[in-house]
Amino acid sequence: MKQVKRLMRTAPNVLLPLGAAVLLFVLWQTQVLHKLLGTDTITLPLPTRIGEIISQNTSAISQHIEITLTVALGGLLLGSLLGYGIAVIATVFPKWGAGGLTIVSAFNAIPIVALAPVINNWTRDFSSEVSARSTLAKILVVTIFCTASMSVNAFRGLTELKPFSEDLMKTYAARRTTVFAKLRLPNSVPYIFTALKVSVPASVIGALVSEYFAEDTVGVGRQIRENIVKGQYPTAWAYIAVACLIGIAMYAILMIAEHFLLKRRKG
Amino acid sequence: MKKLKQFIHSGTMVTLVWVLGIAAVWEGFAFYVAQTKRTPLNVLPHLWQIIGSFFSDKMITGQMTMMQLIGTSCGETLSRAAVGFLIGTVLGFLLALLMHLSGIVEKIAFPYLMIIQMIPILGMAPIILAITGDINTSRIVIAAILTFYPVSTNTLAGFKAVEKEKHELMYSYAASKFQHYIKTIIPSSIPYFFTGLKISAPMAITASILVDTLQGGNGLGCMLSQSLKGGMSRLVFWDIVLISAVIGILSFYLMGLLEKLVCPYKRKS
Repeated sequence: MKQVKRLMRTAPNVLLPLGAAVLLFVLWQTQVLHKLLGTDTITLPLPTRIGEIISQNTSAISQHIEITLTVALGGLLLGSLLGYGIAVIATVFPKWGAGGLTIVSAFNAIPIVALAPVINNWTRDFSSEVSARSTLAKILVVTIFCTASMSVNAFRGLTELKPFSEDLMKTYAARRTTVFAKLRLPNSVPYIFTALKVSVPASVIGALVSEYFAEDTVGVGRQIRENIVKGQYPTAWAYIAVACLIGIAMYAILMIAEHFLLKRRKG
Repeated sequence: MKKLKQFIHSGTMVTLVWVLGIAAVWEGFAFYVAQTKRTPLNVLPHLWQIIGSFFSDKMITGQMTMMQLIGTSCGETLSRAAVGFLIGTVLGFLLALLMHLSGIVEKIAFPYLMIIQMIPILGMAPIILAITGDINTSRIVIAAILTFYPVSTNTLAGFKAVEKEKHELMYSYAASKFQHYIKTIIPSSIPYFFTGLKISAPMAITASILVDTLQGGNGLGCMLSQSLKGGMSRLVFWDIVLISAVIGILSFYLMGLLEKLVCPYKRKS
């Protein structure tokens, strides 16, 4: 009985958004959406057609997915480590570090897109192989994309401690390293997830956009552009759908990881 | 003397030293690049070259000096970004209001707000260009979409963060629903609203520049890609990188300034 009641309460949470999705699908498939937007089925192909193309080209698409994922995850990892490192330095040297953080967060407001072409030039000496240096350039762009949110959030996690916990550590005569390992580090874990919630979608977007400017014409993002240039909109849409799925899947994995890792804390 | 001491220990000084430090590192690399590369302009020019070229009165294109060129393309890009930003802000605020007024709307829309965040709208720029067929419209549309969700989610969080006591007080005054919103809920959501704006203002500008690079015209991004293809001096590219960084940061501070003007009373440190 209790379970039924709970089901009744949570049912609208699932059914209402699902209904909206179905409605959108129907509008799209019956071409009402096309009339609303004033386009045709060539620029905006029907969902079934997009699905068809994805299922026909799985091997090619999965290759491009792999390349994009390498860039996104590599940049995410590097950027997060770099950001966390900056936060640690800022915690150790609060006065000068906090100023550095202001600068890093200002980086966030810079259209990194504009820098993408020049980073290609920077990596030119790295390797004579196009794919290697192009991947490095793309990873660098994503790294810059992801650094700021991690450093700002991790700094908050490392410094905004529970009241008196630092004093308690002092009464224990704990060394600074101990305070860091036992108090600051665990305290920053939820903040890391807050940062990742921003930087995971950002890493995917960064990977796609950096592919636009890369030397090497591979990756999901580049395929979107290439296919549009060639006028093959349905294929481009297939890659857009794939790009969305990558973003959603990575976010979902993050949420699940957060759920399991932070379960104990929420109590 | 005392003022000087105060200045040395202030936060501005710290930031200033950092900026100088970054400039020094940049210059160090620039000297290295200038000696090792055949075309240092493509890799890393000196800062003074970039800034100098901005103020020089040499003609870059047929009729325009660097400052005129960048001024006009800035105007072009920024005006579109601003229109998109305004539309996105208004729509985002209205959606947040609707979601707060009606639970059904919230249940339908909120999951999509989360999903939309994960959809690479910037990656979709070419297709939006294909649908709208016009670069100006697509700049506005993309800037609006990007502005839309940070504003909406943050404002909704603001609506929900009103303390229970305030609701109770309004109830005891027998305030109507309209008064309740106008007097308590909306004013207290303003700081959250501005958090959303601060996130989305630089994003709107980035979006506008990116869309520029997709098609000809005369926005910042067009000049950027033309300069990269060798259509004009490489310094145009560097100037645009610097300028777009500056306007990105300025847009962030502008939102902060607006916030101080609109609600000077509430500012959590």
